[in-house]
Amino acid sequence: MSIKQQFKEGLITNNPVLVQRIGMCSTMAITTTLFNGIGMGLSVLIILTCCNVAISALRKAIPNDIRLAIFVVVIAGFVTIVDLLLQAFIPALSASLGVFIPLIVVNCIIIGRAEAFCQHEPVIPSFWDGIFQGFGYTVVLVAMCLIRELLGSGTFGTGVFEIVNGALSVSFDGSAAGIRIFPENFGATILIMPFGGFLTLACLLALMQYALRKSAEKKERAARAAKVEIPAPAGVKEAAE
Amino acid sequence: MGMNILTIALGAILMNNFIFSQFLGCCPFLGCSTKVDTAVGMGIAVTFVMGLASAICYAVNLLLVALGLDYMSTLAFILVIAVLVQFVEMFLKKSIPSLYTALGIYLPLITTNCAVLGVVLLNVQNDYNFIESVVYGVTGGLGFMLAIVLFATVRDRLQFADYPESFEGFPIALTTAGLLALAFMGFSGMSIV
Amino acid sequence: MTETKKTRGMNPIVRLALILFAVSAITSGVLGLVNGFTADRIAEQQRLKTEAAYNAVLPSESGYTEVAFDAEAFPTVDKLSSAGDAGWVVELTFSGAQGSITAAFGVSSDFVITGASVIDHAETSGLGAKITEPDFLESLVGQSEGMAVTKDGGTVDAITAATISSRAMANAGNTAIAACRALG
Repeated sequence: MSIKQQFKEGLITNNPVLVQRIGMCSTMAITTTLFNGIGMGLSVLIILTCCNVAISALRKAIPNDIRLAIFVVVIAGFVTIVDLLLQAFIPALSASLGVFIPLIVVNCIIIGRAEAFCQHEPVIPSFWDGIFQGFGYTVVLVAMCLIRELLGSGTFGTGVFEIVNGALSVSFDGSAAGIRIFPENFGATILIMPFGGFLTLACLLALMQYALRKSAEKKERAARAAKVEIPAPAGVKEAAE
Repeated sequence: MGMNILTIALGAILMNNFIFSQFLGCCPFLGCSTKVDTAVGMGIAVTFVMGLASAICYAVNLLLVALGLDYMSTLAFILVIAVLVQFVEMFLKKSIPSLYTALGIYLPLITTNCAVLGVVLLNVQNDYNFIESVVYGVTGGLGFMLAIVLFATVRDRLQFADYPESFEGFPIALTTAGLLALAFMGFSGMSIV
Repeated sequence: MTETKKTRGMNPIVRLALILFAVSAITSGVLGLVNGFTADRIAEQQRLKTEAAYNAVLPSESGYTEVAFDAEAFPTVDKLSSAGDAGWVVELTFSGAQGSITAAFGVSSDFVITGASVIDHAETSGLGAKITEPDFLESLVGQSEGMAVTKDGGTVDAITAATISSRAMANAGNTAIAACRALG
């Protein structure tokens, strides 16, 4: 599988959240500000890539019977390392995500990729798989954050962007106030609440299903148009008769 | 003391429901809620594992803190949970085979159910003592069961509903769950004083 | 034949256990290393955060000295420190909407809140987490005993859609004042 194909899979056709539907707990729980979304997305990307490489490198040494136990140990190890590093160097992010950082251990994306991909594939494709699947996850998180934050509280980029003295300033210590698009009282606060998490993800999933169905229909139509040249498979012919 | 326990219990079931307010345990919630029977079974299994895990991990955490190894807690907790689930699986297979077949692939998945690891981590974060931890674990599981059973009954009716084609499957299920979460928001702010 | 089968049946379990043990041991070793490298920094970050909170609520040149208080009567109070003649700083841990909140309150010698600062919390970011923003914290300054959020008839501006977190902060302020008053 080429890198380009893996990129497309991670981002669209096999997106972890929108298509594989895994890792939804954190997707709905923490996507209230852009700071959280980017922080969580990148943490998962790093942990996923490390775990993919480690598990793929060890794949011949891991006995099939206890593979899940070993995956869990490896994943928990990397998650704890990232957790400790965040506490030491970006304490604001660690405080903001709270219990959801250690909970990456049970994020189905990581164990799912280990099970579905890394235990059969060599190290290099596993590395790219980690990067692209993590990127696909991050993109969905950021989209959720942008929608919920804008419609819910009328700001853009809380914790990351801020306008200081008329100039845009970018920081990553979580203290930035965000850019106000419309007054706070006009926002639908309900979108920041749990209900908003469920609803926003539902809409994104529906949008994805719509897009996938449209592209499938298009392909089908193209195939039908080209039918004159391509002889129909035996089964179809029989059914037609 | 008694008041405190009651606050924790009602909080875990209603005000801070694991699914509708904290988003812990969404995967089995969405995957295992197409039939009411399965939902009840899953709820019982999760409640059982959450209660046991809270009790055992309380002791494990004491040990880790005593040894100064509390940075290892996530690793230790997930291993305890994995072993525990393995035992529950063996027990069910032997004594209640019908429930075992009904829960199918979701039983091993309790290991990766974030509600179970979540309750253990929250116990530590909130400094709960032994009794409080177990109460939080069991009532958190009951809250999960309430949510999943309610959701399964609503989902039963969804097949008669008329919704846009693109919402087929997960999106409409999530929207329904969101409406239930909205209903549960009515409990927030309740206090027992 | 049966013998080889037996040894094959025995060996794998031992082998599996050894492999699992080896993986766990390596992971623990690496974690130990990382912890050794980060532990001091984490403790330092925590100390800085607490120090900054103390200075924000009631600046004191003479520093803060911990004083004994009635822990039975005020179970939510973690620490009570005297800031010289200016008053006291009270550190409390209480439950908010989602989990525990740890905050420091400055109380002047005539029992008025001089400032409040949140050290740790688990509130929803974008909602309850706004208790850490200056807009809200400033509305606590100057409050005295019996403070309450506007919704409950008081003058503390509650955060939109986060009444529970705001109320918890106001109640903690009351506890802080009461604890200082009880010192006599």
